[in-house]
Amino acid sequence: MSPRRAAAGGTIDRSRPVGFTFDGVKMSGHEGDMLASALLANGVLLVGRSFKYHRPRGIFAAGADEPNALVTVLRDGIREPNIPATQIELHEGLRVESQNRFPSLDYDFGALAQLAGPLLSAGFYYKTFMGPVAGPLKGTRLWMFCERFIRRAAGLGRADHKPDPARYERMNAFCEVLVVGGGVAGLMAAEAAAKSGKRVILAEQEPRLGGMARWSGEEIGSKPAREWAEGLAARLARMDNVQVLSRTTVWGYYDGNTLAALERVGDHLPRRPGDMPRHRHWTIRAAKVILATGSIERPIVFPGNDRPGIMLAGAAMRYAAEYGVLPGEKIAIFTNNDSAYRAATVLKAAGASIAAIIDVRKEISTAAQALAGEAGVVPLLGHAVVGTSGKRLQRVILRRFDPQTGLVSGDSRPISADFLAVSGGWSPAIHLASQAGGKPRWDDFLQAFLPPVPQQDWSGAGALTGGMTTAAALKTGRSAGRAAAGQKPSRARLPQTEEPGLDPSPAPVLEIRAGGKAFVDFQHDVTADDVRLAHREGFVSVEHLKRYTTLGMATDQGRTSNVPGLAILAEARGISIPEAGTTRFRPPYSPVPIGALAAERHRHFKPDRLTPMHDWHLEHGARMMEAGLWHRPQIYGQAGETVEQAYVREAKAVREAVGIVDVSTLGKIAVKGPDAAEFLDRVYTNIFSTLKVGRARYGLMLREDGIALDDGTTWRLGEHDFLMTTTTANAGKVMQHLEYYLDLVWPELRVHLTSVTDQWAGAAVAGPRSRDVLEACISGTGIDDETLPFMGIVHGEIDGAPVMVCRLSFSGELAYEVYCGAGHGIHVWEALMEAGGPFGIAPYGMEALGALRIEKGHVTGAEIDGRTTARDLYLDWMLSKKKPFIGSALMDREGLIDKGRIRLVGIVSLDDRPLGGGAHIVEDSTSEGLGTSIGHITAFCYSPQLERYIGLALVKGGKARHGTRARVSDPLRDRFGPVEIVSHHFFDPEGKRMHG
Amino acid sequence: MVERESPLGPAFEPGAFPNHAGDTGIRLSEATPAGIVEACAWPGMEQALRNAIGKATGLRVGAAANAAASNKDAAALCIGPSRYLVRSARRDLFERMQAEVAPETGTVTDLSHGRTCIRVEGNACEWMLSKLFAVDFHLTTFPADTGLATAHHDIFAQIHRSGEDRFEIFVFRSLARAFWRELREAAAETGYEVE
Repeated sequence: MSPRRAAAGGTIDRSRPVGFTFDGVKMSGHEGDMLASALLANGVLLVGRSFKYHRPRGIFAAGADEPNALVTVLRDGIREPNIPATQIELHEGLRVESQNRFPSLDYDFGALAQLAGPLLSAGFYYKTFMGPVAGPLKGTRLWMFCERFIRRAAGLGRADHKPDPARYERMNAFCEVLVVGGGVAGLMAAEAAAKSGKRVILAEQEPRLGGMARWSGEEIGSKPAREWAEGLAARLARMDNVQVLSRTTVWGYYDGNTLAALERVGDHLPRRPGDMPRHRHWTIRAAKVILATGSIERPIVFPGNDRPGIMLAGAAMRYAAEYGVLPGEKIAIFTNNDSAYRAATVLKAAGASIAAIIDVRKEISTAAQALAGEAGVVPLLGHAVVGTSGKRLQRVILRRFDPQTGLVSGDSRPISADFLAVSGGWSPAIHLASQAGGKPRWDDFLQAFLPPVPQQDWSGAGALTGGMTTAAALKTGRSAGRAAAGQKPSRARLPQTEEPGLDPSPAPVLEIRAGGKAFVDFQHDVTADDVRLAHREGFVSVEHLKRYTTLGMATDQGRTSNVPGLAILAEARGISIPEAGTTRFRPPYSPVPIGALAAERHRHFKPDRLTPMHDWHLEHGARMMEAGLWHRPQIYGQAGETVEQAYVREAKAVREAVGIVDVSTLGKIAVKGPDAAEFLDRVYTNIFSTLKVGRARYGLMLREDGIALDDGTTWRLGEHDFLMTTTTANAGKVMQHLEYYLDLVWPELRVHLTSVTDQWAGAAVAGPRSRDVLEACISGTGIDDETLPFMGIVHGEIDGAPVMVCRLSFSGELAYEVYCGAGHGIHVWEALMEAGGPFGIAPYGMEALGALRIEKGHVTGAEIDGRTTARDLYLDWMLSKKKPFIGSALMDREGLIDKGRIRLVGIVSLDDRPLGGGAHIVEDSTSEGLGTSIGHITAFCYSPQLERYIGLALVKGGKARHGTRARVSDPLRDRFGPVEIVSHHFFDPEGKRMHG
Repeated sequence: MVERESPLGPAFEPGAFPNHAGDTGIRLSEATPAGIVEACAWPGMEQALRNAIGKATGLRVGAAANAAASNKDAAALCIGPSRYLVRSARRDLFERMQAEVAPETGTVTDLSHGRTCIRVEGNACEWMLSKLFAVDFHLTTFPADTGLATAHHDIFAQIHRSGEDRFEIFVFRSLARAFWRELREAAAETGYEVE
């Protein structure tokens, strides 16, 4: 028989059908179903194929611990693979596919891998593909041959390459108490803390709060437990100081009580509104944390344990009680503990017949005996399942079993059953507690690891702490909540519970050794024999075992396999489980989509930084380029122009008439205070204290180790008021450098620094007609040579806007930098353009700016690259001998004045072909163009003035090589050819034009 | 006098942008005042600086870190040790502050063009801002008329809570458009109006 919907029962809304498709087949479930329950209700047992052997697998669990039933969700044109069917809420129109099968789930070619099963044991790849290259297909060569096939076959689901249209968001949250887990213990803890007035966040990974109370069938406070839980959840939701986050998995516990959580905001909706995020990633900073994460049932490992129709007993009980689904008609139970007896009664009540309860123990509790009676069976004590048969489970095979020796004996005994519910006991879900630090503690009574002694400010409640009853959950939950709120334990009576008095201690039996493939980790197809093989091959550490066999890896993180795997390893080593230890739990607890981690950051890691004239540039055809965060015009291209043609035209306009370029991006720092001049003397290599008010000076800064840091002009606007400019790229770095010295090294200096980069819009007007342009539009000041000499500063107005003009030049032409308030930037720019019209003014971009500066031999960040010194750049004339400055103590180190250092030169392409940045300069090249590098190109362009391709380079010997020839060697771009090394001052070396 | 141009450009679209439920829980507006200055005191001169701010603007700023004060025309926000961001509806704020802050007290730097102020109002503003900043915006920890300096990725932000449901956020002008777009994106879930 197939699983089916029971005639009654469950909390689903049977009046509201929900349509969905699985592998293209239309099916129907009900409001409140999970995909897993709906599939079972539709008779679907086979849900997926296993990772390695492509074995048929069915639903095994009912939550995040599901290892088998991973499916691909198809939504919004996107495939999202490897989602457990147990965690997908059913909604109208849901489309899912099974995965890791071809051509279909029922008939999968990949299943042929089972024939090669003995070869595909633990460490297969390491053994097969390593070793010396001794033949045509050995070792690494064999790997190289096989790799493409293996990679194609690897993995489970197939991800999509299309952009994900969903919206993801992030949230920062702060609270006094974070409660993780919305079961009975979590609800009690949240209520206790909230009643004390604390700001509480309660996070629950399931859609609804209540945990096992939703399907346990117990009573709390004389009410059905589900009703009690729903009532408390509703009260909490109404409290102003409580934030309830359902569908929220807390997946990481980090230092400082910072926890990461994923809220699935819109996955459960048939149509997610465009403004609603699909997921929200929460970063929660909590003063105190209460972990009420419950426990996870584990299986018993036995031959044939992975057949569809075998499921954890607690999961089977939940499907019956919460979703009204019967996973089978004739059900066998196999257990080492009392909890499965409850499953038997629930399944029986839902309409199934209980074929047998097979218990490895020889004695069971009175409560368990009573439940067995309720289920209508006499338990087969001292027995174990040693095999199963049927494509879909038809029979389970039993033998006598001695829990003391672990040996089976006697004849096999088949029992007809279409479903087997298995329980190997319960492990507290210690994942987050372990992530918080500390070593888990083994508990012999529970045969499970308990959470470590807290290393951070958290406490546990409920099953996490080993209290496996509802009464314990109520008690520990309230205690933890009150303690987190700084309250003493309460003496008030707790709600009464009505629950069976089961023995929570399982028999220490987690494997039945009876021959045949017995799977420990279903998701990665790791068998008990693989674990023993790994041990025989020397992998005795549990961490090594994990990596060698992949036990406990992948999406389920070994929730069902860890303890059985450890038990097998411990037995193989002849030690106890606690001696074998456990692997360290690490985030994430369960998979987190990359989209949720990235959230809005995918664009805003780099926010767009725009100059005041940005919109003007766009309106006038500028092609923009990114310079750090800034967007700057590269060229103002005209129809049909290449980039080179455009910048050559723009540069010519500057040399022949006048051009204008946006220099707002230059870093600008207000340096103010009575010690400002002294401060500048210390940070610059040259002297600024002698600079007169109304004048500017070019300055160079070194790092402490004598390497050049940055350059720029600094303007003295008042006796105690300087405006420092930096390169665009280094503005932040220079600001930090200066603040460091003021705060920590020279706190006695009375100097204040303020970033004013954004206060000013800057336009450089350059070219022989630049003075004409300014004269045509400026008022309130003269700009003649006497009023405004080279490096002079004047204040005036342009079209009503106050401006500050400094005569300085980066292009080598007569030039002015016009600064105005940023909010007046476009206004002043347009006024300059209008005034420049009669003189042929042309806007120019970064390419022309670069070409002009290369022709002049001016350095930028390409040359001040963190490796060069002032001397390397022939800026030693700026190194004051009259005063110390940052870097002066170390700039003359032997290595920094070595004659073999690379130094600044100009180079000219002798084959009239473009050069490339970063290309090597070689002396004696081979026939292949290679050779010993003597330096590299830092910048290059086509020079409109020289009508040649030129560049700047850092070359060993520098000036000494002027007039010599070398070769450019650029194998990456296949560019080789002759160059001549010349002075870096290509154009107007005397500077007549800018002084003119 | 030439009008100052907003950096928000085409990203500023006045109107209502409700969410799927028709709600607009946020109101966004550009609220850059006419005058913005940064005033800094020399060590030991903090009280003198606060007095000078008071004389220039009528504000009584507290000494505590993150202190802020506001009146009808002006507001001041402590943005660091001995450092205040002062804003005013008056264009001549810089001149008035310069007149009051003696050289032996500290310095005043005009930032009227360099910073953009964006106002975020509404019952969902704590929720929305929590998406962007790792700051506890709860009223008990971030009460009205306090402020702080923080950052959203590369965007440095000085935040003044000027009311229970109202924040003024100062960002560098060059990043204002990117930040504005970010705010709109973050407000889409709750719906918003742009004024």
